[in-house]
Amino acid sequence: MNRHLCVWLFRHPSLNGYLQCHIQLHSHQFRQIHLDTRLQVFRQNRNCILHLLSKNWSRRYCHQDTKMLWKHKALQKYMENLSKEYQTLEQCLQHIPVNEENRRSLNRRHAELAPLAAIYQEIQETEQAIEELESMCKSRQSLALWPRLECSSVIIAHFNLELLDSSNPPTSASQVAGTTGLNKQDEKQLQELALEERQTIDQKINMLYNELFQSLVPKEKYDKNDVILEVTAGRTTGGDICQQFTREIFDMYQNYSCYKHWQFELLNYTPADYGGLHHAAARISGDGVYKHLKYEGGIHRVQRIPEVGLSSRMQRIHTGTMSVIVLPQPDEVDVKLDPKDLRIDTFRAKGAGGQHVNKTDSAVRLVHIPTGLVVECQQERSQIKNKEIAFRVLRARLYQQIIEKDKRQQQSARKLQVGTRAQSERIRTYNFTQDRVSDHRIAYEVRDIKEFLCGGKGLDQLIQRLLQSADEEAIAELLDEHLKSAK
Amino acid sequence: MELWGRMLWALLSGPGRRGSTRGWAFSSWQPQPPLAGLSSAIELVSHWTGVFEKRGIPEARESSEYIVAHVLGAKTFQSLRPALWTQPLTSQQLQCIRELSSRRLQRMPVQYILGEWDFQGLSLRMVPPVFIPRPETEELVEWVLEEVAQRSHAVGSPGSPLILEVGCGSGAISLSLLSQLPQSRVIAVDKREAAISLTHENAQRLRLQDRIWIIHLDMTSGCQLGTLGTNLQVWLIRSRGRPKVWHERSWTHLPWGPMDLIVSNPPYVFHQDMEQLAPEIRSYEDPAALDGGEEGMDIITHILALAPRLLKDSGSIFLEVDPRHPELVSSWLQSRPDLYLNLVAVRRDFCGRPRFLHIRRSGP
Repeated sequence: MNRHLCVWLFRHPSLNGYLQCHIQLHSHQFRQIHLDTRLQVFRQNRNCILHLLSKNWSRRYCHQDTKMLWKHKALQKYMENLSKEYQTLEQCLQHIPVNEENRRSLNRRHAELAPLAAIYQEIQETEQAIEELESMCKSRQSLALWPRLECSSVIIAHFNLELLDSSNPPTSASQVAGTTGLNKQDEKQLQELALEERQTIDQKINMLYNELFQSLVPKEKYDKNDVILEVTAGRTTGGDICQQFTREIFDMYQNYSCYKHWQFELLNYTPADYGGLHHAAARISGDGVYKHLKYEGGIHRVQRIPEVGLSSRMQRIHTGTMSVIVLPQPDEVDVKLDPKDLRIDTFRAKGAGGQHVNKTDSAVRLVHIPTGLVVECQQERSQIKNKEIAFRVLRARLYQQIIEKDKRQQQSARKLQVGTRAQSERIRTYNFTQDRVSDHRIAYEVRDIKEFLCGGKGLDQLIQRLLQSADEEAIAELLDEHLKSAK
Repeated sequence: MELWGRMLWALLSGPGRRGSTRGWAFSSWQPQPPLAGLSSAIELVSHWTGVFEKRGIPEARESSEYIVAHVLGAKTFQSLRPALWTQPLTSQQLQCIRELSSRRLQRMPVQYILGEWDFQGLSLRMVPPVFIPRPETEELVEWVLEEVAQRSHAVGSPGSPLILEVGCGSGAISLSLLSQLPQSRVIAVDKREAAISLTHENAQRLRLQDRIWIIHLDMTSGCQLGTLGTNLQVWLIRSRGRPKVWHERSWTHLPWGPMDLIVSNPPYVFHQDMEQLAPEIRSYEDPAALDGGEEGMDIITHILALAPRLLKDSGSIFLEVDPRHPELVSSWLQSRPDLYLNLVAVRRDFCGRPRFLHIRRSGP
């Protein structure tokens, strides 16, 4: 019976996470599997929590395995503390008088903790329900003792059983069987109902874990912003493999914008010979653009035997790089630009200007004197429009600097970074000869480069993985800090 | 391929044929445009840039880029769809580029060649000899918009602000103000019929014809308003495109009342500077749109003299001028206290030259 159960559970997607880790079909009890996974985790690294989180299980086990995380003592302890804090706050706000300012901050904290506390409570209740179900499966005591279980009431209704007196619990299975008149067939049905119940409960608890997980991850300030995406070809000794590659990557992001129903507005496009691309920039706007693209910033490396261009003469594997920079776009108020700090260079600077001159060169160059940032634009025929675009790009770059300053203050050991530290790191390799893309930060590999470069599902899946990984790292950091402060 | 074929033919047929040296294939070789179907946009730009440079055409690269982009359906070469950079062009496209480029070789301004140009983000038709809007004038419009925004009572009520543009040319200033001030009305005036019809065409293109009155009128003929009114036949071209001849006794009886603003980019070039202008300007643009008389002040002073009778109380005049004019205008206004006009502000263009004047009417 239990073996069937194992197989059935293995096929069930919501439980795929921890079961996939090791299916031991030779174990008899369902409970045994459950227990083994737990022991496995704890046996490995009992002492160093972060070591565990960052190294072993994040690679070994499936990333959807939030339950694994939950089982970890650190997280449980953290949640307990939060729950306690929430309760004390509630008491505090109701009974103890506080002054206006404190009240506001306490209220804010209360509101922050409310959803977390609620989820925590629900998780605890659901876990208890699981335990009840397990014990019921194991030893068949009176159904009346498990009011939480839906199947109890179903069974009672179905079999028209009388509720036993809870003050007088039966001591043996036969007693129950005798009292309730269950025969072999009924037993089987009972098992099936128990399975169904288990199924729904597990679904529920997975959902709750995910909710908790999402609530715990600290929200990034700039996630909802639009971005300016810039690509620049790297340098190699001769050949134009970098430029070809840059164009392919830029096309990939353009297609991805389309796939996500974002708007893609070209700001700058400087092609190279033979169809390659030196550098280009685009403004991408839509829902949560920065959130998805922030981890695309960095150095992308390519390895291939070039088919076109100068490098294709010798059939050897060439390596090239290109860099991607993702800048969140600020609102006007976020970045203050003092006209005194700006110098605007235009072609018309020389000569009399005005009616005396008719020139069509409407290129604009903006120089921000304090930081030395230079932005050029010649996308439009109207000079004032070029100026607007240049201002927008300048604002985005300055905004990036502001964000840098913020982040630099947080000493982070994360693998997934945004900002200038990330800009110079090699994040991904595209190997055409072996037809795979590998992201070095999460050791993730994708096959079928051609499909990946189409900027559709392949890229989206990788980005989802990156986001999950980043969330996990964020929580790990959170717990680590909590532990440190607890000491 | 053609070149090699000819060389081969020359070698086979012997030197006697042509009379000239064996290197005839090279000496009589004319710079041929690339063959159809084998040339891409990038190659064409390089080719024509070279041709323009050789003939001393200024802005060689920019000109060829604009021409090629235009034929391929884009405004700038930068904004061309990247896929089109390397795609081979059809023979019709090549022919078109050849024709347009030959006009550039005649020093025709690019805006006239393309027949259109952008101003404040609006796309306007350009037809010689109507004056081509300059980038500085975009800043004049920006200033007017800022001022209007500050005077909140002027914005919002229908028909307000009521703006007079003197010397509308292609309609650039009028139409960009109309498009960014949805409640405004504009009276655009020009002494050239070509300018009137071009402004009308652009207004229709941008569907702004309902809020603009375009009048063929020479503001400088007869300073007295009385003479102006009785001796003039005024062509009033209204919306719906039907021209109506409209006689009016005097300005003060116009149905639209006094103006909130007068805006103008009047001819302000000093007469002695006219011959130093580039051939593009001298040969193709209307000199009357440029020549401002000895000190470039003629039309400016005309406008200022007429303004008090056309403007509301504390109405404003915004002018684009030569960098030498702010002082000249200031002293001229001081010599004419009867006008009750004050020079309120001088604004610099993006090159740092004093380019724009704000004059306000105050008094009876």
